Amino acid sequence: MLRFILRRLLLALPALFGLMVLTFIMLRVLPADPSAALAGENATPEQIAAIRAAFGFDLPIWKQFLIYFGQVMRADLGTSLFTNRPVAADIALRLPATIELTFAALIFATAVGIPLGTLAAVWHNSAFDHIVRIVTVAGLAVASFWFAIILQFTFSMEFDILPLRGRLETGIDPPPFFTGLYLIDSLVSLNFTTFLNAIEHLIMPAFTLSLGGLATIARFTRAGVLDTMQKDFVSYAKAAGYPERRIIWVYVLRNSVVAATTQIGLLFGALIAGAVAVEWIYDWPGIGSYAVQAIFTSDYKAILAVTLVVGLIYAFVNLAVDVVLALLDPRVAETL
Amino acid sequence: MRRRLFVLAAAGLMAASGVAVAPAEAQRRPNEIVWGDQLPGGLDPHVIADVPMQFIQLNMYDELYRYQGNPPELVPWLASGHTVSPDGLTWTFTLRPGIKFHDGSDMTAEDVVYSFRRVLGLRRAPAAAFLPILDPSGITAVDARTVRFQLKAAYSPFLAAIPLVSIVNSRLVRANERNNDWGSAWLSSNAAGSGAYRFDPSTYRPQELVDMTRFREHFLGWSHNQRPIDVVRSRPILETTTRVNALLRGDIDATDSYLPTDMVERVSRSRGVRVARDESMRVMVLRINNRRPPLDNVHFRRCLSHAFNYMGFISGILKDYAVRNGGPIPKNLWGAPADLAGYDYNLDKARAECEQARAQGAPVTREIEIHIQTQLAQTTQAAELLQADLRRIGVNLKIVPNTWPTLTSSTARVETTPDMWVHWVSTYFVDPENWIGQMYDSQFHGTWKASSWYTNPRVDAMLREARVSTDQNRRRQLYEEASRIVVSEAADIWIYNTVQLRGLSQRVQGYQFSPVGSGGELRGVSLSN
Repeated sequence: MLRFILRRLLLALPALFGLMVLTFIMLRVLPADPSAALAGENATPEQIAAIRAAFGFDLPIWKQFLIYFGQVMRADLGTSLFTNRPVAADIALRLPATIELTFAALIFATAVGIPLGTLAAVWHNSAFDHIVRIVTVAGLAVASFWFAIILQFTFSMEFDILPLRGRLETGIDPPPFFTGLYLIDSLVSLNFTTFLNAIEHLIMPAFTLSLGGLATIARFTRAGVLDTMQKDFVSYAKAAGYPERRIIWVYVLRNSVVAATTQIGLLFGALIAGAVAVEWIYDWPGIGSYAVQAIFTSDYKAILAVTLVVGLIYAFVNLAVDVVLALLDPRVAETL
Repeated sequence: MRRRLFVLAAAGLMAASGVAVAPAEAQRRPNEIVWGDQLPGGLDPHVIADVPMQFIQLNMYDELYRYQGNPPELVPWLASGHTVSPDGLTWTFTLRPGIKFHDGSDMTAEDVVYSFRRVLGLRRAPAAAFLPILDPSGITAVDARTVRFQLKAAYSPFLAAIPLVSIVNSRLVRANERNNDWGSAWLSSNAAGSGAYRFDPSTYRPQELVDMTRFREHFLGWSHNQRPIDVVRSRPILETTTRVNALLRGDIDATDSYLPTDMVERVSRSRGVRVARDESMRVMVLRINNRRPPLDNVHFRRCLSHAFNYMGFISGILKDYAVRNGGPIPKNLWGAPADLAGYDYNLDKARAECEQARAQGAPVTREIEIHIQTQLAQTTQAAELLQADLRRIGVNLKIVPNTWPTLTSSTARVETTPDMWVHWVSTYFVDPENWIGQMYDSQFHGTWKASSWYTNPRVDAMLREARVSTDQNRRRQLYEEASRIVVSEAADIWIYNTVQLRGLSQRVQGYQFSPVGSGGELRGVSLSN
């Protein structure tokens, strides 16, 4: 298993390098050059040229890439053109918010999607099954920014039962920093007011973000359970008199969730991408909203860093999924 | 058993928290304001010069002179006054006595010298107005309270540009300089000012959270405001709908000052909130690349100018929350000719001008591209309106989505500058030089402000004379005449002067708008119960 993990980690390196090259080229071949914006409203062409030279924007792209690559190798993601702070510091400040949101969405999608898909398969072609199928198609089709606004209007504006935006109410201080995840940090510091406030703030963004994933997981689980229920071992189990609940929730489900588990890994990338819109609407201070601002200001070092960090997380989560698959299915473990 | 344990744990948690589901306002003190407008990328006022930075400058820092009110009046601030030599080259400012920085130290002329040298040394946004006319050696402290600026060339807008530079605590910034960075890395997340509000670095999160507390020792005192705000919490909200909802819920006390029309109506209909409407100095302009055929033909440019439905846009789309502005200078600023009406919307005239252009061989059938700024809906609306009317007279306009950095960098060369693009020219210093001077003097070609690539030696001569003349009447005359010429030659399409629209809680009292800073100065603001 350890060899497998090491091999997968090594394989991730060229993928990350490719990601960096591709993103760098895509960003630098665009005509967007932040020099004019940095030089200010009243700058002369000479002043703009001086800024361009000072930041190295006038160098050939390959040279700019080599300089950047050298920096990254020294664990230096550069300085943000927009905030004038180290990009790594900005991301470190914002990444926990995105991780907390994404994991909450993933946990919700999994916790609801798997039972929903299983029940839909068990009662297939029933009214429940039809409703689940309609809801899951709608879940995949609905635009998250639209859904977010609808939730805000309903639960914040109309019923006033959930907060509108942000991670915490204004006036409540963030918990002491351990992980940057407010739920964990507030619990560790036994600050339950902050914990409950953080949960309230997380509900709508996490639910919005989870919708697409929930639909995917439910559909894959339903298909997997339906398929497994046709297998001989299920008939034998029934004939041997095992209780139906045990057959479905233990034997069938364990053999059915392999496809759904693979999807969970793939979903993580989609959720991080989806977090951009969700963070923007809910004013969630994560790397998604940071990336949008970086794009609007052509802060290319920030964009590159966000891409790299997301790529890294994606690689890590997929590795974790492979390990879980191996634990779920001993046949997978044998191939490692 | 397990379920019972869970319920007990949950109940304990709720009891310990005092049931934390408290409404937003209950968390705040009565003299605490939550400001929902944008924040700048960093906090160094010598690196960034944009509208969000003005909020930081006006509250955390002070300047030698400052703009107050609307129309903005330039008043002595840290300086008690100034003198200027007859040739306009030597400017001497005298500091008021007893000015304290937030750390309790005294402000001296050395701090002013350091601040201006720092601006020139960093060469970033606020430096642009000074680099062509000021060397670091030209800024000297005559004594502890007197600063002298020796300009390389006469520059009449110098005083108007003085408020661009916030005065920083030189000892504090110097102590945090690393690798000749002028303390820039440190000041991006800290403050070193003397302003009415003191920054709290412990809670700072870039672009997300700035907290300030009232500086009781501010040099102007607080006698003007019986109930000043003690705590300012800046919480920028990215999405407009969320921002307005937050205002309606009482989560914030103020939105940004560019509310879209539909949101203005929504806020106006709601209880406990209002919309402050103030005419600003911010001109919306459709830029025309005057060098590209057929746009190099004056008749074709006039054709475009007559094809824009000005009042349809202002009344129909903007619900009259804008004022028609027919030329490049905001009409509420001196230098804008009072009798300059600008072009009218008339498709017959447009057709006739296009015919003249065609007769002169201009390729009027070529598809014209207009670049809009994706995140600014009004730029799309203006382009679509023009597109629809041009289609009726046989001109094909293509709308191209783009972003601000891409557009500003594309204007460096005439070949890469779009046929047309849409933007606004805001107020950074209140002088016609900020608009017509930098938009139509050919020496600025290659900057986004001069992206029409307009060239007229007569206009160049007028604008250059106005830049160095110390006779205000002569300057006014020159700017008015130059305005008439660029308008007659339809260098661009000028649409309106902005009415800024800021959503405010009814409890916000004493809000005073100025085009510089858009009403973000909180010294005079108080909160009612």
